[in-house]
Amino acid sequence: MDELRKSFHQELDEVRARLAWLAAKVIEAIPRATQVLLNGDLEGADALIKDDDEIDAHSVDLEEKCYQLLALQAPVAGDLRQLVAILKMVGEVERSADLTVNICKAARRIYGHQLDPRMRGLVARMGEQAQQLFVSSLEAFETNDAAKAAAIDDMDSFLDGLQREFVRTIFESHADERIDLQVAIQMAMVARFYERIGDHAVNIGERVRYLVTGWLPEHKGAERWKSSRPEDDTDGLPRIEGFENPSQK
Amino acid sequence: MNWFLLGLSVGGAAGALVAVRFWSRRAVDGIVASPAITETVTPPGDAAGLHRSLEALPIGVVAFHADGSVLARNSRADAATGVRHADLLVESTIDRLARAARSGAVAQEQVTLVGPPPRVFAVRAVPVADGGAVVSVEDVTERHRLDAVRTDFVANVSHELRTPVGAVSVLAETLEGEVQDETLLRLVRRMQNETARMTRTIDDLLELSRIEMGGEILVGRVDLAEVARETVDRYADLARAGGVSVAVRSIEGDATVNGDSHQLASVVGNLVENAIKYSTEGGRVLVTVIPSVDRVDVEVHDQGIGIPAASLDRIFERFYRIDKARSRVTGGTGLGLSIVRNIVTNHGGEVNVTSREGEGSIFTVSLPRNGRVLGDILDRDERGPDSDGARG
Repeated sequence: MDELRKSFHQELDEVRARLAWLAAKVIEAIPRATQVLLNGDLEGADALIKDDDEIDAHSVDLEEKCYQLLALQAPVAGDLRQLVAILKMVGEVERSADLTVNICKAARRIYGHQLDPRMRGLVARMGEQAQQLFVSSLEAFETNDAAKAAAIDDMDSFLDGLQREFVRTIFESHADERIDLQVAIQMAMVARFYERIGDHAVNIGERVRYLVTGWLPEHKGAERWKSSRPEDDTDGLPRIEGFENPSQK
Repeated sequence: MNWFLLGLSVGGAAGALVAVRFWSRRAVDGIVASPAITETVTPPGDAAGLHRSLEALPIGVVAFHADGSVLARNSRADAATGVRHADLLVESTIDRLARAARSGAVAQEQVTLVGPPPRVFAVRAVPVADGGAVVSVEDVTERHRLDAVRTDFVANVSHELRTPVGAVSVLAETLEGEVQDETLLRLVRRMQNETARMTRTIDDLLELSRIEMGGEILVGRVDLAEVARETVDRYADLARAGGVSVAVRSIEGDATVNGDSHQLASVVGNLVENAIKYSTEGGRVLVTVIPSVDRVDVEVHDQGIGIPAASLDRIFERFYRIDKARSRVTGGTGLGLSIVRNIVTNHGGEVNVTSREGEGSIFTVSLPRNGRVLGDILDRDERGPDSDGARG
């Protein structure tokens, strides 16, 4: 292995470390956003919204670093998979940070309104579960653990269940006139934000599986679709010059 | 001399460790004042010895070469929290401050992590004369917690004691010029309510003070199953008024412990009263007595409003209120749980709580079956020779 390749692996390690740091920032941002919401902490909301700029800046830097490595080092096989997976994961992490900001903005909009204990309890549980999903995705990424990454999807089902329960509770609270319509809508959106954070953690897990095994859950659906079509049937598919049609692969 | 922190210096192109410098606690405290430490003391020996010394420190330490590579670090700096994502954030702060210190500037920052686990770290970086840097990482979580307790206590005690006094004063002023009987009666009743509230607070404060001082009590065998049944009977009216059902469940076995029956009844009473007050209509409170070989546990389980996670470790503090507005309605003094904890601790036991907002709480008092009780008048050195071994 030449010096150039050695340096590339050092840079790859650095890229991995930077992604892990970004994920750690999000893992910390999730409970902070939950506290902001439950305590009506406007100062905390401002701080978290400002912190997101730092995450944005580092995400952009990290993406550029990945493009630079792809262009200058022309990695192949596992190295290429790593970089492509990391590029995808940066987006998932950055978007999750945005969702914590959205929770803070919702907290501002409902400022002064009291949430009943049942709703508060469910918000706390969704926050804990979303954080746990992200913790698992970070662990799976850092240890290249495909099995742990696969388990994240199951964990997400629990968060989805909490979101449904929360939405039911919102309807009940609104029907009993314990919260007004504006708060009910904001809280339904908050539930969606937590649920989406969970989905992003699942996506990170899937990318970890991809970089370890080269397999994505979408491959299953793609296989099914391909096998369901006649070999010569390309109708309805756009043809791009120089690209093989997926149904003919 | 109070040696506290190791300063490290590097010599030679290969970066070999050739000298070790020490500086005292005064130097660590004065990191801001004296950025470069130059005092040199006799080197203590080999690198292993240095490593052991670093490991013995109660804080995290990382020493950097001038080129930014790590010269030495101890495990407290490696895993400040033991939780990966939190450690990554502390680590990034260490690196950032070390960069500033290597360019000659002293840098310090407080890292506050929501967690779990919630932690606060003071990270300080100081330049070393050869262009390197030393960073210290100190866990100041407990110091911050105590600061918060102290600040809140002063605010809460002022609120609890001054509010009723202020109210009585204003009501008395209003009373002075009033002639209508109906209004007079209303004002007098308000004054009576406020003075009753003051009396309750003062009584509880005196009770708490007596318990904290380990005042004299008479210890005997107390059947906690019996205490639980009597308590539930005592609060039956309160429960009925709130539409809450209360039941006792005793697991088979001997539920007696050493203790003061009046104080233990006060413990169970406080917990049952809280469980009822913070339950919603139609809720259930269940008191379970669980004897085991050497302990007896009493669990008070409710389906009430629950306690926010952030308040769980604070509810036993004096005058701590989760919701000040609600506490006016429920009418407590803010001292009940503090009294509970002190009594249980004096009895050699412990009290724990698990709770979820909107789902309810479980308070568990766990008492040793044959514990020695603080303040037992029959268990003192000054007792007479005839009282030897006498227990009720």
